[in-house]
Amino acid sequence: MSRVRIAQLSCGPEYSGVQKEINEAAAAVDADIFFPDMKLADIRKSYSDFGLDIRSPDLKLAIARAKALVEGRVEADAVFIATCFRCAEAAIVRNELRRYIHEHSRLPVVSYSFTERTTAGTLLTRMEALTTIARRRALLAREVQEGLTMGVDSGSSTTKAVVMKDNRIIGSGWLPTTGVIRSADEAVDQALSAAGVTRGEIQAVGTTGYGRFLVGEHLKADLVQEELTVNSKGAVYLADAQHGPSTVIDIGGMDNKAISVQDGIPGTFTMGGICAGASGRFLEMTAKRLGVDITELGPLAMKGLSQKVPMNSYCIVFGTQSLVNALAAGSTPEDVAAAACHSVAEQVFEQQLQEVDIKEPVIMVGGTSLIQGLVKAMGDLLQTQITVPPYSQYIGAVGSALLASGFIRRE
Amino acid sequence: MANVFIYPTTSLILSDLVARFGHKPLSAALQVREIIQTPGIESPPLQITPEDPKKGLRWAAVEVPSGVRGRMAIYGPLLDRAEAAIIVNNAEYSFGCMGCARTNELLTFLIRKKGIPVLDLEYPTTEEEGVEFVAAIRQFLDSLGGGGS
Amino acid sequence: MNTYIPRLVGTVTKYVFVESPEMTPSDLAIRAYEISQGVMIKETCFGLQVTGNEGDVNRIIEFLRSLDQTHIFVKDRGFPPGDPRRCRANLGGARPGYFGHEFEIGLIRFISSGLAALPNRAPGVVAKPPSPRATPRLDAARLKAIIESQES
Repeated sequence: MSRVRIAQLSCGPEYSGVQKEINEAAAAVDADIFFPDMKLADIRKSYSDFGLDIRSPDLKLAIARAKALVEGRVEADAVFIATCFRCAEAAIVRNELRRYIHEHSRLPVVSYSFTERTTAGTLLTRMEALTTIARRRALLAREVQEGLTMGVDSGSSTTKAVVMKDNRIIGSGWLPTTGVIRSADEAVDQALSAAGVTRGEIQAVGTTGYGRFLVGEHLKADLVQEELTVNSKGAVYLADAQHGPSTVIDIGGMDNKAISVQDGIPGTFTMGGICAGASGRFLEMTAKRLGVDITELGPLAMKGLSQKVPMNSYCIVFGTQSLVNALAAGSTPEDVAAAACHSVAEQVFEQQLQEVDIKEPVIMVGGTSLIQGLVKAMGDLLQTQITVPPYSQYIGAVGSALLASGFIRRE
Repeated sequence: MANVFIYPTTSLILSDLVARFGHKPLSAALQVREIIQTPGIESPPLQITPEDPKKGLRWAAVEVPSGVRGRMAIYGPLLDRAEAAIIVNNAEYSFGCMGCARTNELLTFLIRKKGIPVLDLEYPTTEEEGVEFVAAIRQFLDSLGGGGS
Repeated sequence: MNTYIPRLVGTVTKYVFVESPEMTPSDLAIRAYEISQGVMIKETCFGLQVTGNEGDVNRIIEFLRSLDQTHIFVKDRGFPPGDPRRCRANLGGARPGYFGHEFEIGLIRFISSGLAALPNRAPGVVAKPPSPRATPRLDAARLKAIIESQES
């Protein structure tokens, strides 16, 4: 596999003790981190041309390096921007550089704010996505599924599988993840029997999600791919938005993704799951507490008014406390359901959507996109009509099956 | 011979002049040298590990970014040893160790708070300023006593 | 987690910069090699790096300084020369500290002038170095007068 060269624009990782983690995460996906070479005169000129007046010299250097990359004076395959968490000056620079590179070049960018506790493991999926975009542009350009392929998404909460044939979904399987391999086998069986085909007939397999490596090995998959690129691809494919810009939001069981997509390829993205109060988990808890099935939560929320119940918490424990208090104070289940949806949407909005540029269409995917109340709350916050494509809960599996068709051997 | 804290702590000019006039420049290099010559857990490039930002808590609270605290773990011991300081205030192009403006603000504040003799300067931009710059540093260092070139 | 075993423990490394019309880094290196006695001397684009035990390094530095008092500048370095963690070849670009050198070298001729002028300076003359100062603001009364003069 060709090595990918990732240019690092940063302030602080060496002094936070995390540079090693960055290097390790890159090495794990066959990439090398490098620091674009500059001359002092270039730094001065580029910084002054960029026009953002800041104080920290290392951030000035980052700006100059970004300009060198965009102007083609330094060659790279991808860009990694990293600055200290909680530094306001760095957050402004990080955000502006990400946007600048995204708008003026084809270089994939990921930005990250670290603390001394950041590990290579946390960075791995991001680095993998970054290198995939750089390495597999041709593969990601695929717009049509061909042949008979299968995709499996081994997620933290649920495992999904789909079988596709000639650009159509002909079978699907879905179940909660209990054992990674066992659940994958079951989802695959469901999808195969719904499609009426056997495992032997499948021409190529793709896996994604948390369990992708394990399941990929088990199923002898042709493509094992992180969910950022796969979900983007699946989302624009299903939403019929393969060309031009779009924004993909996936509120998952364990973490959330917000991806700014151009022509089906992620440009910038954020991924995080700081607290469960901002995840699908909280909605599951809410449904349980209200005594309804998760599938009923959405319609219930649509009938309620979120403003009637104060609920806005990162933390699932505090969120649940608000929920219990509201019910005890006589709030209706409808209002509580709406408030829970609004709370999750708001956390995602505050934590993640600030870091990607929202461009329409905004496509919501993943299991939580089936909860209408959540989609409505997100649409209200973003002041846009959100697209939820068919099969949105199978997004990772569909993306995998679509991309896997690039691996079918022509006889 | 006095221990003279220099700012920027990576400055060639200040390091040279302080040593030349018979005192000890407290530069970042001394700390980096000590860190990279100490066995431990591998953490390139600077051998600063996630433990160092925690050591930095002595100078900055946990809400302060890790990069500031990690840098303070380097400079803090120098602050403790400093008996005088020379600060060049318009050091806008000192990167790496001096790359974070917030750390630098904290650092110069802590130096001033310490109550030791401080010489405040700016980089010379002409020959005449260069002459006065060198002379001022010489006079300041002479006033500390115990030097001699 | 790998154990880190440092190398060259107990040594010091110093940068020797030469910025002179009369002496190149390689001239300086030749002179340094003459008295190196086992101390590591590495020639660079700006001068030398000298690595060894502190006494030996200082002896060499002292000698080199004596060759041209006003154009040779010295500072400590944390890393030994050619350390892969700081090496340009491995980083893709210069280590960040390099730009600081580049900046100071750009104005070091003023320092050379200052050093050359020192012996001739009358004792007791107080130095007036460039120092941070507040930018004076235009007096409000003066501003008013200007506005009025423009209006008439």
